[in-house]
Amino acid sequence: MAVGVHADIFIPGQSAIHRWATRPKLLSLLALMFAIAMVRHLVLLPWVFAVVIGLYLWSQLPLTYLLRRLPYPGMFIVAMVGLLPWLSGETVLWEWSFLALRLEGLQTAALIAGRFLAILTTGFVLLGTTPFLSLLEAMRSLGLPPLLTDMTLLTYRYLFDIANQFVTMRQAMRLRGYGHVRQTVSRQWGWLVALLGSLLLRSYEQSQRVYQAMRLRGYGHGTPPRYLSSHPSGRMTLALPTGLIWLAAISFVVGEFFLSPL
Amino acid sequence: MHIPDGILPAPVCAAGYAIAGGVTWAALRQINRTAASPAEVPKAALLAAAFFVGSSLSLPIPPVSVHLMLTGLLGALLNWYAWPAILIGLLLQAILLGHGGLTTLGVNAVMAGVPALLAGQLFRLRHRLAKALSPRAALGIFSFLAGALGVGLTALIFFGLVVFTMPSTFDPATEQNLLTAFMVAHIPLVFLEGLFTALLCFFLLRVKPDLLK
Amino acid sequence: MKQPLNSVSSSTPPALMIPLVADGLQTAVAIALQNLSFSYPDNPGILQDISVTIRAGERVGLIGHNGCGKTTLFMLLCGLLVPQNGTIHLFNQRVEPHQFRPEVGFLFQDPKDQLFSPSVRDDIAFGPQNLGLSEGEVVERVEAALDLTGIRNLAHRPPHHLSGGEKQMVAIAGLMAMCPRILLYDEPTASLDLRTRRRLIQFLQKSDETLLLASHDLEFLLEVCDRVLLIDDGCIIADGDPVEVMGNQMLMEAHGLEKPHSLVPHVEMHHSSPQLRPHWQA
Repeated sequence: MAVGVHADIFIPGQSAIHRWATRPKLLSLLALMFAIAMVRHLVLLPWVFAVVIGLYLWSQLPLTYLLRRLPYPGMFIVAMVGLLPWLSGETVLWEWSFLALRLEGLQTAALIAGRFLAILTTGFVLLGTTPFLSLLEAMRSLGLPPLLTDMTLLTYRYLFDIANQFVTMRQAMRLRGYGHVRQTVSRQWGWLVALLGSLLLRSYEQSQRVYQAMRLRGYGHGTPPRYLSSHPSGRMTLALPTGLIWLAAISFVVGEFFLSPL
Repeated sequence: MHIPDGILPAPVCAAGYAIAGGVTWAALRQINRTAASPAEVPKAALLAAAFFVGSSLSLPIPPVSVHLMLTGLLGALLNWYAWPAILIGLLLQAILLGHGGLTTLGVNAVMAGVPALLAGQLFRLRHRLAKALSPRAALGIFSFLAGALGVGLTALIFFGLVVFTMPSTFDPATEQNLLTAFMVAHIPLVFLEGLFTALLCFFLLRVKPDLLK
Repeated sequence: MKQPLNSVSSSTPPALMIPLVADGLQTAVAIALQNLSFSYPDNPGILQDISVTIRAGERVGLIGHNGCGKTTLFMLLCGLLVPQNGTIHLFNQRVEPHQFRPEVGFLFQDPKDQLFSPSVRDDIAFGPQNLGLSEGEVVERVEAALDLTGIRNLAHRPPHHLSGGEKQMVAIAGLMAMCPRILLYDEPTASLDLRTRRRLIQFLQKSDETLLLASHDLEFLLEVCDRVLLIDDGCIIADGDPVEVMGNQMLMEAHGLEKPHSLVPHVEMHHSSPQLRPHWQA
């Protein structure tokens, strides 16, 4: 697993979306994602895509960014979506021996795939235009408890160290021949238990040292720290993106409402 | 087992967030009530990071190799902190790895986190319930059960959700066959998670029993 | 075998496959690097066109400031990294990417990266087991390694409970159990106390294997190595006798290093006892 640095996900820029203040951005884009999740009629999808594509273009994020990231989360959806047209529904569109392509299944598959793509793209617009610390600060101001904020920062901070330790430990195992010769399952399990156990142990011991260092700098006494955003971006509560995105979200919901009795 | 965006209907996603909010409130209350040392926060945070990293490990089960969830183990080692750990793990997975799941964050957290908390409680009960056994045997049995419970419950919640949201146009016989197939396939996984959890707890008992307190 | 101080770069003869004759004895070429270049995405040109020959049994020190590429070189030698250009031959056999070469042992800077088994004995056995040896052979190797490193009394203990120096000896034992012909040591004295450091020096002085030691502990290298390579800016700046290379103050300072204290001419003898003088000052 490649634990990417958040810098891989965040791409600095000057678009309106980059400059959009984080709190309204987070709330608006989440609302948009939920509104997309509410869409149940295929006919609304083109409008959904138009909005999402417009948003992506507005953010000025490169297309390659999206194309590089969509394949991974897509696999599960592909599996699910691949099966539905063959298994679900009454109206058969095309048949060949035991395989029957069904209309309802195809429609549901298209709906799921469409929603998935739209929600994920919106998610990438959010993550691509917002530094991690700004996101965390916004969540804190929206009510994320201090314990969770503290923990998230620590986990984030040490994630890369621990990932590097793990990579090095596995390299050391390979250099001593791990995987070179076929081994019994019980031996392999023994080694992997020891590997994970050692990683947990090292992290625990490291956490004790981290705690001591934090205490020496005042942690646990007095007021909790305020986490400053590392980037000055997002200072403007831009009315235009906020307004437009909320309008779009509402339009999906209204569209669904009108289409429902049909 | 992580449900991506786009599959679940919006009300289910919203309910997921609501339940996750409730569990967060309850977990934090428990954490404050037990007046735990502030040292627990870095411990939970770094162990969460270790679990996040370690979950990439795949275990050979010929002819395949599987990724274990280890939520039972997380619950056993972190107790109530397992809930924030899982929440943070999912959040970082979405933010750092771009694995999506932002609308389904609540649902995924409940799916993995509630079983982890229950597994942790079960693990803690070993002192009271297994008085007749040696501490080592009690550890073995209860860590196995915790590991199995963690995955077993997660799988049940997952299936429950799938059944609930399955399109009504699905042929009932096919639906039942598919679900039975998935359930049966998970039984060995539940056993293996329990086994791995027990083995790992024995390792920690030998090398760092503090972690098991 | 002493070598004259020279600047390497383009003057190294390319015929590295022929075992070199010295003092009437034929010594095999243990490591042959030819035009080796490597770049990281965020650190291009960390190694540029490196060509070096190291003969079997030599003890070579690698010196250079942090980030000059010593660890990178080690990782290339093990096949963990793939060079953009050039070749690496170990005992005349080319190193293929990610190929397992049991004749090379790599001691990581942090022994915790290498020790993970529940007992010292299990950890030492890991290497031989992965070589596919029989149970009997594995036991033999483990016993030999325990004796060689003098840690028999630690055999049953979890490595996690040992001190830094003990952990390092266990890591070394784990490597020795694979009977390597080349050993790469990355900053071996970094966190050792003086007694353990002395033990390590004595251990290394007795070893027959080809050794490459990357270290900032220049005094340590003076005691153990018979040749030193100074690396900077991706190139080998100097290659030769440790006293001559490290004693060249201008050279050392030009490349972010310092002359080791024992080589600084002592005008005022602030060492009261003659026994405290290092042997090369005698």
